[in-house]
Order: sequence, then structure tokens, then C-alpha cells
Amino acid sequence: MTKVRDIVALLEAEVLSGGDKLDEEVKSVGASDMISDMLALSKPGMIILTGYTYPQVIRTALVTDLLGLIVVRGKNIAPETIAYARENNFLLLRTRGYLYSSCGKIYAMGLQGGDAGKE
Amino acid sequence: MPEKNKLQRYAAIFEDIKAGDIMSTRIVEIAADKKIAHAKELMKIKKISGIPVVDEQRRLVGIISIEDIIHALEFNTINDPIRRVMSTQVVTIRREDSLAAVVDKFENYKFGRFPVVDEDNRVCGIISKEDILHGILEKFNLIYIHDLKRTSTLNTEYSAITGEKLNAEEANFHYRIDSSDIDAAGTGAAMLKQFLSGKNFHNDIVRRVGVATYEAETNVVIHSRGQGDIFFFQDQDRFIVRVVDNGVGIEDLDKAMKEGYSTAPDHVRERGFGAGMGIANMKRFADKLVIISEKGSGTQVEMIFYLPSQTWPLI
Repeated sequence: MTKVRDIVALLEAEVLSGGDKLDEEVKSVGASDMISDMLALSKPGMIILTGYTYPQVIRTALVTDLLGLIVVRGKNIAPETIAYARENNFLLLRTRGYLYSSCGKIYAMGLQGGDAGKE
Repeated sequence: MPEKNKLQRYAAIFEDIKAGDIMSTRIVEIAADKKIAHAKELMKIKKISGIPVVDEQRRLVGIISIEDIIHALEFNTINDPIRRVMSTQVVTIRREDSLAAVVDKFENYKFGRFPVVDEDNRVCGIISKEDILHGILEKFNLIYIHDLKRTSTLNTEYSAITGEKLNAEEANFHYRIDSSDIDAAGTGAAMLKQFLSGKNFHNDIVRRVGVATYEAETNVVIHSRGQGDIFFFQDQDRFIVRVVDNGVGIEDLDKAMKEGYSTAPDHVRERGFGAGMGIANMKRFADKLVIISEKGSGTQVEMIFYLPSQTWPLI
């Protein structure tokens, strides 16, 4: 079982919100910058890596029951986005890693994507 | 394509729909030795214009219609047994008849509904024209009406799927969509989801309502250039979500339906929208979806979500 804490350590991520979720299990992982794709493909208990930093992304995550979001490349995140996440105690992480490398590291750790078993 | 081929193609799509799949199983029937007055009362209570008549073994022996009742009243025979006045020439549908055969019955005889019988000639269901529509809806999970003649159905207070009355003032949840602010897109859906979260419904249905409503709401914000509303109605066995706007309508429905196609402007795409998945996602997460749109007079999206353990049919 992979916990949020393991991913935080792996990506040397900063916990911006939802710090009480570090011991929750991460069931699957995805990556997307498109809201509609997140809506279509995300699953409950999933963590998504993204370059999207507008508050919209938190709303999308809440509607789809995501476990958390990881913003990549150390991007600046609008204060409204962080505030929105905190208001809802939603897990928001940030890593300096690029999208591709971060995904690769998590995958190598043994966590699969939403399409696992579909090929 | 020649008309005939077209018809054959349609027939092929519905080939596997049988009368038994679409019939309504709440049957009203009456015994042949009961009085005509009895049939009259039953018709009044059930608001129907004909009742299948059965013998002691519940086999179909006739049908009594409102005309028969009027006749009995006129000739003061209302206390006679039904057997005496019922018509014994009953047009029935067999449970295993195809949808095409059912449609033929409606074309050839001008009755509003037909009894469906099993091998032993026992009534096992009733089929009305609404049941046929339901059968087709089931098949597609989607209807798209895009026709000037149908504008009368747009923004009416009747459900386009079930025909029931949906009074906006009685909605369990309402949200006025601010279609000028792309950053606010999805707020109504998030609020609706929150509204439902506290109510002990299954997580899965709450999530599906949230996602599908999010898409519908976003479409209003991105495309409608008009005023929009989200209405949510909770029924015993289902949720109905209606997202209506009075905007520009959908111009090219074939394209709008295609996954990956989008007419979203650049400023919207920068915000991560415009993947062209909107309608596809609504279809994926709702149990039933109807989109009624007319260029220039807005769009109405209606979605139904069945609560778990609910089995078809509804009426």
C-alpha cells in the first residue's frame, strides 16, 4: 500500500493543504491539464499531477472525489486556489519535479494509472 | 440512401429489443364475470380507457373499452357481467415480438395501448407509445432533438424523458449560472454535490451527478452567451438534473456529439476547457440524457440518475 506520505517523500513535495491526509492510501495516479479529462478519467481516491493552477482545479477535484493534486514544476499557484483547497481541507501538494519525471518516479514505485489492466 | 435501406438499418438497430423488454408490468385487468359498473370504476381510478378482461385462470378473453361503458349506461345494463359486452377480438402483442412488430401494431390498429401476453395467453404487460419511446431511450441512453418543430418542448415544465411535471419552483436545488465568469464554471455543480453529500446517498451517484452537472454547467458558461439555470429534482427512485439556458443553442449537433470536437475559444482553452468531452462525459455519467437545442433559442439538458436498487420500469 502506498501512502500519500510516501509520494510526498519521493517527490520532495511541499504540502500546501490537507496535511492530515498523509496516511491515506493512494489507489491510483493520473496526470492532466484538461478539466474535462479530469472529469472523465479521474477516480475516487486518485491523485492527479497537473500544471493547472487556477481555483477551478480544486472545484473539479472536489466534484470527482479525488484524493489530491500535485502541482508540478514548482509553479506559482494563485492564492485563491490554495485558499479554496484549505477551506475544503483538500490535499494539495507541489513539487519542483517536471510532470514527466514525477510521473515516472511514482510509476516506478509501483502505482499504476487509471488505464491499468485495459491494454 | 434509399428509404427502404434506411428503414432496414433502423430496424436492425432495434432488432434485439423485444416487447417484453419495454412493456410496463403494472397490469390492470378485470375478471369477465364482474359487473360492467366495476370496470367503469376501475377506469376512473386508473384513468385508462380500456381494460383487458381475463377468465379464472387469468387468461385473456376480451377487452372492455370506454365505449362499452357508455353503451351500458345508455341501455341501463351497467350491472350486467362484463363478459356480455366486452369485445373478444383482442389485438395482442406477444412477449417475444420485436419492436418492429410492436410498431406495426400501432400503425395498423388505432389503439393507444396493447396487452402483452405470454405462451398461455396470460396478460404479462401493457405497451403504450410511451413504452416504445422508453425502449428506444434505453437503447441509446440519449436522445437529441434538434428541430424547429420541437421548440415547444424547450423550457417547458415537463420532463422530456419521463413526461412528468417538473415545476421549477419545487426543485430541491436551484442555482443561477453566471455565464460571464469562466472562473466560476462548475460552482453550481460543486454546490449541488455538497447539497447531496450531507444526505446519505451512495457516494457513486453523488459523484456522477456532480461530474455530469459540472459539464452541463460549463457548457452554458462557455457556449451559451445567455442566462442559465441548474434545477435538481429528487424523486423516490431517481434524481433529475435540468440545466437550461436561453442562449445561442447548438449549431452543429453532429460535431458537438463527437468526442474531441470543440468550438471553445482560446481564452477558455487556456483554462483547461474545450477538450470536446462535455457531452461524452454527460453521457458517461448520467443514466439517461436528453439534449434539446434550437439555434437561437437555447439548450436544455436533462439527465436522470437512478438510485441504486431501482429496477426498470418506472411507470
